Amino acid sequence: MEKSKLLKQGYRLRKIIYAIFRLLVLCAIGYIILYPLLHSLSVSFQSRDSLFASTRIWVPTDLDIKNNYTAAWKSLDYGEAFLYTCIYQLAAAVIQIVTCAIAAYGFARFEFKGKKLMMLLLFVSIIVPDMIVLIPRVVTYSQLDFLGILGLFKKLSGVDLRPNIINTGWTYWLPALFGVGLRSGILIYIYIQFFKGLPKELEEAAWVDGAGPIRTFLQIAVPSSRVVILTVSVFSVIWHWNDWLLCGIYLKNCFPLAIKVRDMLYYIGQAYGIGPDIHTPQTAAYMMAGCVLFVVPVLIIYIIIQRWFIESIDRVGITG
Amino acid sequence: MKRKKKNQGITALKSRYGRMFTLPWLIGMIIFFIIPLFEAVRFSFSEVTIVPGGIEKKFIGFANYKEILFSNPDYTDIVSSAITAFLYQLPIILLLSMVLAILLNQKFLGRTFFRALYFLPVIIASGPVLSLLFFSSSSDLSNLGASESISTSLISVDEIVADLGISGGAASYITTMISRIFDLIWNCGIQIVLFLAGLQSIPSTLYEASRVEGATKWEEFWFITFPMLSEVTVLVGVFTMVQLITNDRSRIITLLYNNINSAVYDTTSAMAWFYFLVSGGIMAFILFCYSYFAGKRWKA
Repeated sequence: MEKSKLLKQGYRLRKIIYAIFRLLVLCAIGYIILYPLLHSLSVSFQSRDSLFASTRIWVPTDLDIKNNYTAAWKSLDYGEAFLYTCIYQLAAAVIQIVTCAIAAYGFARFEFKGKKLMMLLLFVSIIVPDMIVLIPRVVTYSQLDFLGILGLFKKLSGVDLRPNIINTGWTYWLPALFGVGLRSGILIYIYIQFFKGLPKELEEAAWVDGAGPIRTFLQIAVPSSRVVILTVSVFSVIWHWNDWLLCGIYLKNCFPLAIKVRDMLYYIGQAYGIGPDIHTPQTAAYMMAGCVLFVVPVLIIYIIIQRWFIESIDRVGITG
Repeated sequence: MKRKKKNQGITALKSRYGRMFTLPWLIGMIIFFIIPLFEAVRFSFSEVTIVPGGIEKKFIGFANYKEILFSNPDYTDIVSSAITAFLYQLPIILLLSMVLAILLNQKFLGRTFFRALYFLPVIIASGPVLSLLFFSSSSDLSNLGASESISTSLISVDEIVADLGISGGAASYITTMISRIFDLIWNCGIQIVLFLAGLQSIPSTLYEASRVEGATKWEEFWFITFPMLSEVTVLVGVFTMVQLITNDRSRIITLLYNNINSAVYDTTSAMAWFYFLVSGGIMAFILFCYSYFAGKRWKA
């Protein structure tokens, strides 16, 4: 009797020690995640004097929020850049959510010749870095041509009809319309895994009742895939929001937020006549304010949806 | 007889529908992926000059590759450092995210908070902000221009190591290792999410059965959790490899980006292809080894 009580106590003690250990590990690594964020927030609030001071403090007493944030807003041209982000990148993200679902449904539900080859192609497209295909794409985009038809027309008639879509939204929308936009391979893969797990019976019943494939897809499959649509939307929107590489290559003067934030030092220099790429504590404060401005919209979305997002991740069955 | 024919009709119809759903994607794939991919090969073997109304290509064999490998002083350095970073970061990221996912999967007070915190990198890490954040939290400002990797030194780390009386090479090694931890942990976001999803798909009956049999936690991990996660691990591994290769904070991607923007198409294609061949080769080798050993182990 005594012994079992002792054993029980020992077990409980071990459990408590483990819980403390777990909390310590999670806090330590959580601190690493939070540190740069809190640091940037702290710097973005500080006034010029406290930035130049030799002692650093976490909670600044000498605040100058207004100046830093208006400077960041102005040098980023935030309103306009945000608009470009929406009409170029977020529009493409939304288009992609739809087109990838369509392609994935075809892969997940039907058997047809060449499917294996196409799945292999999908896998290859996930692995190959965008950089390789970007170079010829820049060249093709400046003279867009579908399978050489317009080029042939030019040879025959001498009239160059090939449109130049560089520096327009089509560089984003066109690939997204075909379901081959930014990281669409991964999105299609997530969709396929989910659609495969959906019970077939409902769709078969719809077939028997005479619904066509499009109707089955729209009225049966889509309504029961809210979870996966949420997951894919989050990834698609966030990847587009964050992407600066494609904007930097496709667009020449109407820049979305991501690329502006990346080259913020340059824009600050331009807006304030400091000269490009000169780094002082003051520009650091502007930069951090810009970072905060950039992160806040996605952070708000994340806070709103995170409960469903975390739940949906388990239910999507990405993991096969 | 009649029935068989009807069945065939349905399969034919279904395969037609399948093609209908996937056709737009296939067309897009051909225009925006396959053709550019081969075009890039052609670029890498030619001298590309920009003329009004387009570009001109002249076949010059392996000259571009020779140039980037033997005449360009930076390229081989950058590629080899990218590959070493890839090789040591991959196992650390896999291990770290698996451990964190297991911790986050347990029931304890504040779990939701920690989960939300650990998923934060998912929404921030792929963007331009992260390098700026690291940039700003690096040590003294005069040092910034000189540091080539983004997160070479962090305020406190430098000072602490100096206070401990460690100096010279050892100190710089420790500081770089510690500051790399930032980079590593920030790269674990999606991996943790995927592992967590994998953990939740393990049926709890397995754990119940093992508890009845008197298995320890340690045995539970090795005989249930770890094998049941093997599929997810492959997925996470592939994802991590792709993420590390195409990490837009790395010097190689920055180099390619700058070159494209200054309209140097030929050598840049060669650079991109060479980098992809090396990294893709390593990826294929790792996957091959995994499937070889894993296949053997599970059969036995």
